[in-house]
Amino acid sequence: MNADNVRTGPNRPKWPLAFRPSVGLTSLAGFLFLAIVSWAHILLGEDSGIASLFTAQTWQRITEFLGELAAAGSTNKPAFLNLESWKHGAALAVDTLAMSVLATAMAGVAVLVTFLPAASNVAYGDLAGAGGKTSRVAFHMLRATFVFTRSIPELLWAMLIVFMLSPGILPGAIALAIHNYGILGKLSAEVVENMDTRPAQALRSAGAGKFQMLAYGILPQVLPQLLTYLLYRWEVIIRTTVVVGFVAAGGLGHEFRLRMSWFQYDEITLLLTFYLLLVLLVDLASAGLRRLAR
Amino acid sequence: MGPRPAISSFLESRRLLTYILIAIAAWSALSVDWNGNLVHPGGAESARQIFTAALTPELSSDFLALALSASWTTVTFAVAGLTLAIAVGLPLGVLGSGVLLRPGSRRFFTITGVRVVLGCLRSIHELVWAWLFVVAIGLSPIAGIFALAIPYAGILGRIYSEILVDVPEEPLNALRTSGASEFKVFLYGRLPMAMPDMLSYTFYRLECGIRSAAILSFVGITGLGYQIQLSLNDLLYNEVWTLLLFLVGLVALVDLWSSLVRKSVTP
Repeated sequence: MNADNVRTGPNRPKWPLAFRPSVGLTSLAGFLFLAIVSWAHILLGEDSGIASLFTAQTWQRITEFLGELAAAGSTNKPAFLNLESWKHGAALAVDTLAMSVLATAMAGVAVLVTFLPAASNVAYGDLAGAGGKTSRVAFHMLRATFVFTRSIPELLWAMLIVFMLSPGILPGAIALAIHNYGILGKLSAEVVENMDTRPAQALRSAGAGKFQMLAYGILPQVLPQLLTYLLYRWEVIIRTTVVVGFVAAGGLGHEFRLRMSWFQYDEITLLLTFYLLLVLLVDLASAGLRRLAR
Repeated sequence: MGPRPAISSFLESRRLLTYILIAIAAWSALSVDWNGNLVHPGGAESARQIFTAALTPELSSDFLALALSASWTTVTFAVAGLTLAIAVGLPLGVLGSGVLLRPGSRRFFTITGVRVVLGCLRSIHELVWAWLFVVAIGLSPIAGIFALAIPYAGILGRIYSEILVDVPEEPLNALRTSGASEFKVFLYGRLPMAMPDMLSYTFYRLECGIRSAAILSFVGITGLGYQIQLSLNDLLYNEVWTLLLFLVGLVALVDLWSSLVRKSVTP
């Protein structure tokens, strides 16, 4: 039996055996073409840096840099053997963690308030109330907001926000929250669009009002999934919090930037250690909480 | 009041989760100094300038040409970084899924080892990598591409291996009973069946790659983000908005493309 028979036989399986050539293959070919053009553009452009990868000078510099990270040849005691540096780093790590949690919480609350009108079945589909035109307008505006907030990366949001807010944990958390609001909003609205609407419709035909239908027919079904997405995003947010800290001047990221500009690479080693520990901690915490959410 | 152990423990876990989430959110909110100067002395004025500038983005043809060429640079970085990430992530994903190996200790150690490597690759953000590379090998496009490729290879490898494991077994068993070797089962059964999901996830990553490539400018690599930073430094908010709109348009375009791919590959 070959794969073709499986696909065209009477018991055609539900899973895709091969993607439909029209869009899938064209897109694959398009991506390959784009890849070739991009690499050609970069490699043929002036000073791509590829040639310098094969010079002894570059490799000497890399070895030097790795030595500096390990504090080789330094007369002072390296940061990662200094108890004070560890304490300082730990305080910054706690700040960073707080920033990531604050960002996740703000994004989560904002999504919770706005995701229902952004789902097409609630706005004008089979779960729609008597909203009519208003809910359709709200739907499109919310979806446009999701696209806009999600298209602009956290770091750029942070660069804009530090023009308005004083540096610290808050501007960074807001920047992270804005970007993740767009991502989570889209995902949550899609969860509602793909959910089983029969329980909610049964409630409505039994006389439930719109609010009751949402509270008992929709939310219990979608909230666990939303929470899972939120916790997954937390894992991404903790990795990005450091980057946002570069400009928002909070936590490990700010310190990283300072030490980089002072060429204190032994401090960088310590900060990267704390960074990795935080990432590991949040991955574990998120996995544990997701188990509770199931 | 009959005993309802299953239901009550279920409710308990949800309730516990709610309390935990509220507690850590409250702790994070308390670590902000709310009484300090949250807003800059001139913050309200810059906010007003930034938002009014949104109504009049810079639309001169010279600047639009600049924005277009910066967008193209960002796309080339994203695509080049992603291709490198696929080249590394695909073999790691196949190895990490363990589908080519017989059950046994060798398979266990391969899977665990590859998973640890993938975890390490994706734990550090691309911009941190970029900075380290710029210090180590100097400021050049290749430094940005490497920085982008490392975490993306880790993510792609993990997702690819999960997709490969999740392929339904029945058609593969049909191949096996007809005498196909495990490698042929992979090549003619597992890989074609996993392809749609892998393709659709890779296209989603292209969208992320555009954003990541845009912020690599922070360490001096050219592209949309670099222009945004230049305009921000000169307080030319009209130019900033034009560039932001180009970025939004670019991401929306890739998003549209990837949703077309997703729709075509899901039956």
